[in-house]
Amino acid sequence: MLARQAQYQNGTNEDDDFDDDGMLAASIVEAIQNEDDDPSQTLHSLHSREDDLQSRLQAAATPLEYQASLEARYASYDNYCSLFHFILNSNGPVELDLPTYYWAWDVIDEFIYQFNNFCAYRNRLAKKGQNHDEIASLKDNQQIWGCYSVLNRSQMNEQLAAIKRGEDPNTVAGEYGSRPLYRMLGYFSIIGLLRVHCLLGDFTLALKTLDDIELNKKAVFARVMGAHFTTYYYVGFCYMMMGRYSDAIKAFSHILLYVARTKNFHNKSAQFDSISKTMDQMYALLAICVALCPTRLDDTIHSSLREKYADQFQKLQRGGPESLPVFEELFQASAPKFISPIPPDFDNPANNVDPMQHHLQVFLSGVKNNMMAPVLRSYLKLYTSMDLHKLAAFLEVDAEDLRTKLLVFKQRSRQCKWSEGGLLSGEAVNASDLDFALNNDLIHISEARVGRKLVDWYLRNLTRSYA
Amino acid sequence: MPSFDNAEDRPEHITNILNGLDRYNPETTSIFQDYVSQQCEYGTYDCYANLALLKLYQFNPHLARDETITNILVKSLTVFPSTDFSLCCHLLPPSLLTTTPASSTGDLHEAVQKLTTLNTQLESCQFKDFWNTLDSDDLYADLIADVSGFEDTIRKRIAVVTNSSIREITREMLEGWLNLSDDEFDTFVKDTAGFSIEGNTVIVPLNKDNEARPTITRESVKFDQFSRVIRRAYEQPA
Repeated sequence: MLARQAQYQNGTNEDDDFDDDGMLAASIVEAIQNEDDDPSQTLHSLHSREDDLQSRLQAAATPLEYQASLEARYASYDNYCSLFHFILNSNGPVELDLPTYYWAWDVIDEFIYQFNNFCAYRNRLAKKGQNHDEIASLKDNQQIWGCYSVLNRSQMNEQLAAIKRGEDPNTVAGEYGSRPLYRMLGYFSIIGLLRVHCLLGDFTLALKTLDDIELNKKAVFARVMGAHFTTYYYVGFCYMMMGRYSDAIKAFSHILLYVARTKNFHNKSAQFDSISKTMDQMYALLAICVALCPTRLDDTIHSSLREKYADQFQKLQRGGPESLPVFEELFQASAPKFISPIPPDFDNPANNVDPMQHHLQVFLSGVKNNMMAPVLRSYLKLYTSMDLHKLAAFLEVDAEDLRTKLLVFKQRSRQCKWSEGGLLSGEAVNASDLDFALNNDLIHISEARVGRKLVDWYLRNLTRSYA
Repeated sequence: MPSFDNAEDRPEHITNILNGLDRYNPETTSIFQDYVSQQCEYGTYDCYANLALLKLYQFNPHLARDETITNILVKSLTVFPSTDFSLCCHLLPPSLLTTTPASSTGDLHEAVQKLTTLNTQLESCQFKDFWNTLDSDDLYADLIADVSGFEDTIRKRIAVVTNSSIREITREMLEGWLNLSDDEFDTFVKDTAGFSIEGNTVIVPLNKDNEARPTITRESVKFDQFSRVIRRAYEQPA
């Protein structure tokens, strides 16, 4: 972290130019103070006096410790407000060269992380029911780190991004659009929005925000590893929650493969620790998706998946009620830390349900429905036609029960799959390699096979014979 | 191509709100509420807009109207087997979904629980149980009262499910699934669903989904793959 701070310092050494702006910013901070009746006022005014723009820029990208006190959290929120306010509401664009690409990402990243952290902190407090002073202070300051203001901050940036989009690429860039600061901030704040919406449980809107961003290796965010990675994690997760498992699998395998191939370039960077943690989470999510929608994975990914989650993966693939706790375990370990959009009910702690539990339950209710699928699959694969009653006897279930299970299986194997356009669009396709139809009590089964791949073999041998 | 954020009959002013900053503006709540009642009345459906309303409720719990919430949930039942119902659930206050009711939200809590039961039955294709549950309690009738043509829409969705997985089925069973009998059944099956009836069997015409034809995906060979071989042939004439 220190190293990165140094980068910012080195990157911007035109302090002289900033004097005016610095004063402007300071006055804005003061204005905000006067509006807010803030317990951390004293702390804050201390700040603004010695504060120049540079130190604030750094502060914005510096992580807040986990144990930080409530005051520190308030103060940091005010800091972000004044910073964003300064950048967005000054007369005309701010003359400011971005230290690095990373800076913009770090600011947005940290902003959302602190928001997330604050909500978790708030919920913890409400649950414990102790520490009444802090609770009282939270009650008085519900505006701080409120969802509205967070969304609005991000939203403002999105407006900027809209300006940028209009004039992309660089040729006719407008006043705002041509500044890298605004471009990058706008860009990353869209990704930030993706995260916030996802944390709030609105998965469709989360994907919708990415409408204007192209997902590929050449995209701007690919230059910042953390951003690249985070984006795919959240996109994949949103797809999974929407029941579009094949799209989720695609997103996860894309980025996991990318990281696996470029590992050697990244493992020295400071971000790598957090990346490898998220990578494990993505493997877990991938295991869930593959269990729900059997798909052939890339060999590299498949072997690392089995390396990391051998037991769990096997249980998931076997299905049945025993798999449910495994789904639960993996989901809890690898889902983002959901947040509750409204302050908890401090007076009735019983009413506060952990948002994670909430989303987990909704997700599991969908999983429960189709738990028999792996077993059905293993039998159906063996036959081309079969009597319903015979299969029911094998499985030791009621024939009518089996019929509904088969219907569910069929419905679930048809999924909405993305092919082009916005991330939310897609067509219903049969995502399973197994298909069947019921003719009264007779099940007709068919399988989609992949033909032998000859071209590779042919070409390889051809080159060999040339040499 | 169908896209989730599109709806055919969405009026322009709704589109504008959805695409602008106003979608976070609590004042638009009433506009969305009217839009929901409009959907209930005319049998249209716009999940994306409804989710936006649920989100507004999420941020402003004091504005939430129980009736609108249940209407949205009932509407989302009419498009099973899509996941709309659970997408809505993700945006509801968590206390509504727990099995122990919170004191303040008694009625709504019960309604949501009941609708969840219906959804589970539909999703697990237990259609006969679904109709039985629907008839078992007056509360259900109240819940679906606002949504015009609820039962018929559900029947159509069940017909779609049948269409995709079944070639032939006994009349008795399909009657149970659709909760129709005699002439009503005949008319629905022939005219709305497009199936034919022979004696005691209902025949579903073959289509892409119930055909279950084995497919073999062959590799598609592109000329580019051979470019190196061909170039080589030019470079080093044998």
